[in-house]
Amino acid sequence: MRQAIRLTCLALAIGLAAPAFAAPAAYVLEPEKSTVGFETDFGPDRITGSMPVLKANLSLDFASPANSTVDVTLSAAGAQASFPFATQAMRGPKVLDADANPTIHFVSTRVRPSGDGARVDGNITIRGVTRPVTLDARIYQQQGSAKGDLTHMTLRLTGSVKRSDFGAVGWSDMVGDEVRLDILARVQKAD
Amino acid sequence: MTLRNTPDSFGLVSRILHWTMALMILILLPLGLRLAGMQPSLSTLWLYGLHKTLGLTALALVLVRIIWHRISPPPAPIGPPRAWETRAAKAGHVALYVLMLAMPLSGWIASSATGIDVMFAERWVVPPIAPVSETIDQVGFAIHGILGKLLLALVVLHMAAAVKREMEGDGTLRRMIRGRA
Repeated sequence: MRQAIRLTCLALAIGLAAPAFAAPAAYVLEPEKSTVGFETDFGPDRITGSMPVLKANLSLDFASPANSTVDVTLSAAGAQASFPFATQAMRGPKVLDADANPTIHFVSTRVRPSGDGARVDGNITIRGVTRPVTLDARIYQQQGSAKGDLTHMTLRLTGSVKRSDFGAVGWSDMVGDEVRLDILARVQKAD
Repeated sequence: MTLRNTPDSFGLVSRILHWTMALMILILLPLGLRLAGMQPSLSTLWLYGLHKTLGLTALALVLVRIIWHRISPPPAPIGPPRAWETRAAKAGHVALYVLMLAMPLSGWIASSATGIDVMFAERWVVPPIAPVSETIDQVGFAIHGILGKLLLALVVLHMAAAVKREMEGDGTLRRMIRGRA
């Protein structure tokens, strides 16, 4: 982080364009302003819910997204669904088995620029089973921050997983296999 | 009007228990059959809760009834004690009681095994009576379904027998409605 500032200062000092020196910077998640949301089909309806973030190591480079890395741990044991039965069913042994596997872990393997966002390839571990997943990332500046101010950013990541890939097959006759993820992460540059 | 049973009449308590249970079974059986074949959705979720609440109420009622019949024994079946009809009636009634106990218990066990709380009246959590287990869940609900069909058959037989006896004029049905034959 200090190095990034020093580099930027250096870049300004010698009159070079800053992006040429862009480096990944550590960001911290603002948990109270972020949500990890999911939804799946339940007959004609949907079950929605969210999971608390336990830990997020974010190293982001908005100028060259490929330099970014993301490592996030979610709480399966603290996952909430839109009604109590669904919460219990989801945490129970037939779905997330949260007693035996209390966390869900995502680590990025590759970040590629895509349009005005990025595609984040990574491995997700659910129920102790690790599978590749790709999330689409959209990057926004937060409201009230000056143009070009990268200290407060909003990331929206979307994607989906099939719970059958992870053995989380409980109630598959009633509840959809595809779980769609919609993650809103508000991040702040670490100082 | 007397509350207690006598050697040849049903008291008010036994009659109310009988007809309340009849009503519960006539709601629970079709509701259960419907739930078993239904794709659940948010709008029908309450029906599962209703089935469990009524089923647990039925379990409580059958226990009250068994205890009450210890305190105040019901009259013997009408008819010669050694006739096959009387023996069949006794066996049928025993089977009905067994099923009235086994139906809610098997449902409660299977529901407990799913790991999802059983709620009474959507308000109170009923303690689980079986460990969380996929096997108990599946076997439990399979047994619950088979017992349900058995109960349905027995209830139909019970009703047909009561109507047949009433048509023959021995007062069996009247005794359960008014107390005396």
